[in-house]
Amino acid sequence: MSHDVTTPSTGLAALPGIDMPGVRAYPPRLSAFTQHFWNGLRQGAWQTSCCQDCQRQTFPPKPLCPHCWSPKVGWSPLSQRGLLYSWTRIHAAPAVFTAESPYAVGIVDLDSSIRVACRLVDVPGQAFTPDMPMEMVVLHYEDGPLFAARPCTPA
Amino acid sequence: MSRRVAIVGTSAIPIGRHQSADDDELQNLEHEIMTRLVSEAVRDAGVEKKDIQSLIFTLPRPYTRQKYFHTFLMGQLRLACRGSVMEVMGNGMTAALAFDKACDEIMLGRADVALVLGINMESAVSASEHMMSSMRTTGDVDFHTSAGFTPIAWYAMDAMRYMHEYGATREQLGSVAVKNRFHASLNPLAQYRKPISLEEVTGQRPIVEPLGLYDVPPRGDGAACLVLASEDVARSLGKPYAVVRGRGFCHDGTHQISDVPNDMIAFDSARDAAATAYAQAGVGPADIDLAELYAPCTIVEVLVSEALGLQPRGQGARAAFEGETRLGGRIPISTSGGLTSRGHPAYVTSLYNYIELADQLRGRADERQVHNARLGLATGELGNYNAALIHILEAMQ
Repeated sequence: MSHDVTTPSTGLAALPGIDMPGVRAYPPRLSAFTQHFWNGLRQGAWQTSCCQDCQRQTFPPKPLCPHCWSPKVGWSPLSQRGLLYSWTRIHAAPAVFTAESPYAVGIVDLDSSIRVACRLVDVPGQAFTPDMPMEMVVLHYEDGPLFAARPCTPA
Repeated sequence: MSRRVAIVGTSAIPIGRHQSADDDELQNLEHEIMTRLVSEAVRDAGVEKKDIQSLIFTLPRPYTRQKYFHTFLMGQLRLACRGSVMEVMGNGMTAALAFDKACDEIMLGRADVALVLGINMESAVSASEHMMSSMRTTGDVDFHTSAGFTPIAWYAMDAMRYMHEYGATREQLGSVAVKNRFHASLNPLAQYRKPISLEEVTGQRPIVEPLGLYDVPPRGDGAACLVLASEDVARSLGKPYAVVRGRGFCHDGTHQISDVPNDMIAFDSARDAAATAYAQAGVGPADIDLAELYAPCTIVEVLVSEALGLQPRGQGARAAFEGETRLGGRIPISTSGGLTSRGHPAYVTSLYNYIELADQLRGRADERQVHNARLGLATGELGNYNAALIHILEAMQ
């Protein structure tokens, strides 16, 4: 199977980054396909697969378009902002995450109509509330990146 | 349906702690429990060993040492069959699918009598260790599990959204747990039977906000066996039975979450599967006398009851708080005590739900008996109700 993978558009603003201590508790695997996402994320690129036949994005990125089943997928940028659809704070965590608990996770509807689920970063004074504006960030761990969201800083 | 399927016999152990620790001198062996349940269920049904032609097992947990448990048990029972003998796996839907597959065996004419059975042992494994496996069952193991999502975290986000959209309160959700504990107090198969107050529910430590300890399912062990038969056989046994009158299934084509923003708390798959089941049964939500829902958390019971049309949209939590879903209420839900109090040994949970419906529809539910119960509904699910499997059962005298 071959994928027509193009490089992300250049000149895109990188996501804000946050340095994290230690390594990721349960790191994602990389494939020949998804390494483009994870290696890009390390540089702050926030992108996903986009079908070259039906033009639809999907997230997480997939080598086959789930909408029209075309294998002709490229990469395109994702919106860096969106609204918090919902969230929770996990107090009872799996063994590898207990050191980080309690921690918040949530669902963000990006402005470009893609829904993502990710870790949430607390911002003092801004309690998580559904429908509040959020921005995506990169958490830079010693072994690699994870994507996350935090409340938008008031202008 | 040309051939109808009936539940004619049941047996189960009370849900609780049955799994032995590795260093216990004497161990509870799964096959010893299972063979006893088979003999009890078959005796309850009044059928004979030679009548059984298919056995559909639920997959045991990985902690069960005996592998190929289903064919091992055939040897323990010296049971020769010409239908199907297999283990079913569908995560939370495992037992519902096993029941469904056993129904298929009878409808296809491969068996006149079939067993659906299984055992789920996990209580000796700590929650944090167990979650190392369960966290890989919901969402994308690379893109979601890396962020620390757990299975009930998704339900917690349902609750947060539901409270935001409809103004439902923690107390309203908590009333589901109080109601289920009351029902469980009347059920000898239930894991937690001591009644609790609303203050106790809302005062528990948070597990996944806004849900506390009593809003989420306990962990426990369970085992059950049901005897299914063609309606001809059921009629010949001369006792009340429960017949499957409608069935519906829907997978919404997403796993845990849709990347196309949708109304996540509408539980479309449950609504769609219910429409199919209602149509097949020729009934509507208003005809249902009681429902045993696969609802691991208080919020899930609310959302499923709305998706099934048993409550108007956004009114399920209020209705529960006002007692509509309690025994004696307009539409009793989870008369067994539900997953929060009856218990939730996940791979066999739905077997207990069918047993509750069978007990109610055969008039054997004692103190929990729903007066004149004629139609009961059960659900099974995958993910965040991304898939639903629904059966409507009817009492036959």
